[in-house]
Amino acid sequence: MILGPLAVLGLIYLFLSTTTSTNKEWKILLMDKKEIFDSKLTSNPPKNLQFDFINAFVDYEDFAYQEKYKDYDLSVWINEKIVSNKKVIVSYRERPPENIQRQIIFLVERRMEEIMVDQFTDLSVSKFREIKQALNFDFKDVYDPKNEKSTTASWVGFSFGALIILFVFMFGMTILRSVSREKSNRIVEVLLSSVNPRQLLTGKVLGVGFSALVQFTAWVIIIGTGLYLFRLTLFPDMFSPGFVADAVGNSEVNSEIASQSPFVNLIYNQIQYANMLIFFSLFFIGGYLFYGSFFAMVGSSMGSESDGQQFIIPLTLLLFASVLSGYYVVYFPSTTLSTWLGFIPFTSPMVMMVELSNGFEDGNIWQLFLSLIILFSSAFFMMIIAGRIYKNGILRFNHRLKLGMLIKWTKK
Amino acid sequence: MIKVENISKYFNRETILHDISFSLEKGEILGLLGPNGAGKTTLMRIINQIISADKGYVSYGNELMKEKHLLDIGYLPEERGLYQSMSVEKQMLFLGRLRGLTTKEAKNQTEYWLERFGIQAWRKKRIEELSKGMAQKVQFICTVLHEPDVLILDEPFSGFDPINIELIRKELLNFKKKGKSIIISTHNMNNVEEICDRAILINEGHKVLEGTVHDLRQQFKEGIYKISFVGNMIAFANALWAGYEIIDKKIHGADAFTIYLKMRQGNKINDLLNAVIDHVNITGVEEVLPSMENVFVKSINAQNEIVSE
Repeated sequence: MILGPLAVLGLIYLFLSTTTSTNKEWKILLMDKKEIFDSKLTSNPPKNLQFDFINAFVDYEDFAYQEKYKDYDLSVWINEKIVSNKKVIVSYRERPPENIQRQIIFLVERRMEEIMVDQFTDLSVSKFREIKQALNFDFKDVYDPKNEKSTTASWVGFSFGALIILFVFMFGMTILRSVSREKSNRIVEVLLSSVNPRQLLTGKVLGVGFSALVQFTAWVIIIGTGLYLFRLTLFPDMFSPGFVADAVGNSEVNSEIASQSPFVNLIYNQIQYANMLIFFSLFFIGGYLFYGSFFAMVGSSMGSESDGQQFIIPLTLLLFASVLSGYYVVYFPSTTLSTWLGFIPFTSPMVMMVELSNGFEDGNIWQLFLSLIILFSSAFFMMIIAGRIYKNGILRFNHRLKLGMLIKWTKK
Repeated sequence: MIKVENISKYFNRETILHDISFSLEKGEILGLLGPNGAGKTTLMRIINQIISADKGYVSYGNELMKEKHLLDIGYLPEERGLYQSMSVEKQMLFLGRLRGLTTKEAKNQTEYWLERFGIQAWRKKRIEELSKGMAQKVQFICTVLHEPDVLILDEPFSGFDPINIELIRKELLNFKKKGKSIIISTHNMNNVEEICDRAILINEGHKVLEGTVHDLRQQFKEGIYKISFVGNMIAFANALWAGYEIIDKKIHGADAFTIYLKMRQGNKINDLLNAVIDHVNITGVEEVLPSMENVFVKSINAQNEIVSE
């Protein structure tokens, strides 16, 4: 149970440590033949970058193999005509991670700016920067001025919904396997001589559900804590919006970049996590009970362990369709179909998560509760049907399961 | 203890059980006999409330059988089943708990039975590691672990070697001694003769016969006697005259014989003895009762004939 999330954490660590190797010190050779930069780059160089100037051009071959350049990780070629052709070639031994690339670009551009300002204008550099600053355009929906409905928000809901579906599938299969194993073991008859089929079914679904919840919580706690610790210790600048600016030591730029990142704004400000988590749990439980009864139904009516495969495929497709419906709602949030998908218990756990992350308009909150009520009452109804099928199917062995049989078994 | 009244069961318009009634008394071993597909297993499942009857009812003591009574019953289904990957001990604890024992009681009982059957060494073994016979033993223990008042055993001897059959037989007699009631379904008629007090014969869902084992054998006897003697066979035959019919004979040596014969003209065994006693040395006389197997075959055939007519 603990190995799974630890493995995921390990993978995340590997992924992060290869993409942002922040601890490495990068030695950079600036090839400035005409000394345009005047051997200056910045008064306050970042800790992990070390720049050396050379007034010559070193071609790839020499840079790659000559002893004296061996210590350099990167070379940046400031060509003679850079003022007009704006071309900078950076050659590397090992591709630098995104943040290092951005630091280098930032520093070189700033220096270039200073030179150009000095050469072509009478302005001070700070004045120039003020003039240069781009206009900040913001497209706003008049019906949604706070931009609560952006698809970025929807994707957060989509991930929550997909998580529900994933767990429903995983634990639905656990129910199915467990039921069909008890059946093929024949221990079910021993069990049934002490408890009735409905108790057995309910116990199974609740038991697996509880273990699902425990596992899920363990996952969330382990991965959550792990990521938090990563952020604190190993990759301090990983999630920070202004990591370039931090490194350069310019707080003005920091806030500028932060405000330009809608995603960060979304993650920290827009999503109402408390709300999301409460409804996530409710839809998770409802969806699990609803789909779980289908899995139990198939498991109990299988003639042999391989026999039920044909009924697992449509179930899997249903779950897949549910994920697709979430995808649909992300892009078409306000169509009639979307509203209906939110009420159908097969798709509602997924769709409602997306709609929830978008936020409901004040008058429409009833949709959320109606959807929950429909989901729970259909789950309850399905449990009764599943109980009947379970009762009739559990003691039949070695038959070929047919749809007609299932329908007949629901009647008694 | 248990009363079965007018139970009927239908599957897909086919009658599986038709109007079956019988009762199980305290401290009695009742044999439920019948050919394959007669409906024995269905009947046992109905008594255990695993499936419901379409007509009739089952009562326990003076009450209608309810779920709470199931804890007083130990049921061994014909299709044996255990969790394959669970250890012997865990399996017993789990099933004991399921039948209402506390953890402590379940532990004590497990201990007791493991020791009684001399299988403590299997404690940690998983069921899939055991042989079929070993698993059967574990299954038997799981059935009786909670010391039920009634045992319902579907083919309890199948899958056992003769030594273990004897072991189980002894345990059953032991239970009987303690006043527990047992229903056994079996094909093995020897066991029925040996341990059952009464037997019920079911064929095609109908109750064909019911009675004590002794009565049933009496009911089907054909008036055959077995007489063993030492002496001259011809002298013996001459002494009989026409009042008797010799059916079979076994020759044990030059002058030792066992003769099977039927009485005629209302003759009794004493008349037979009077007729031959002066001519040969009689070493044994016995009335030949049909085995339960014969009773079984005869009554099934008789019923099938009635049906075909």
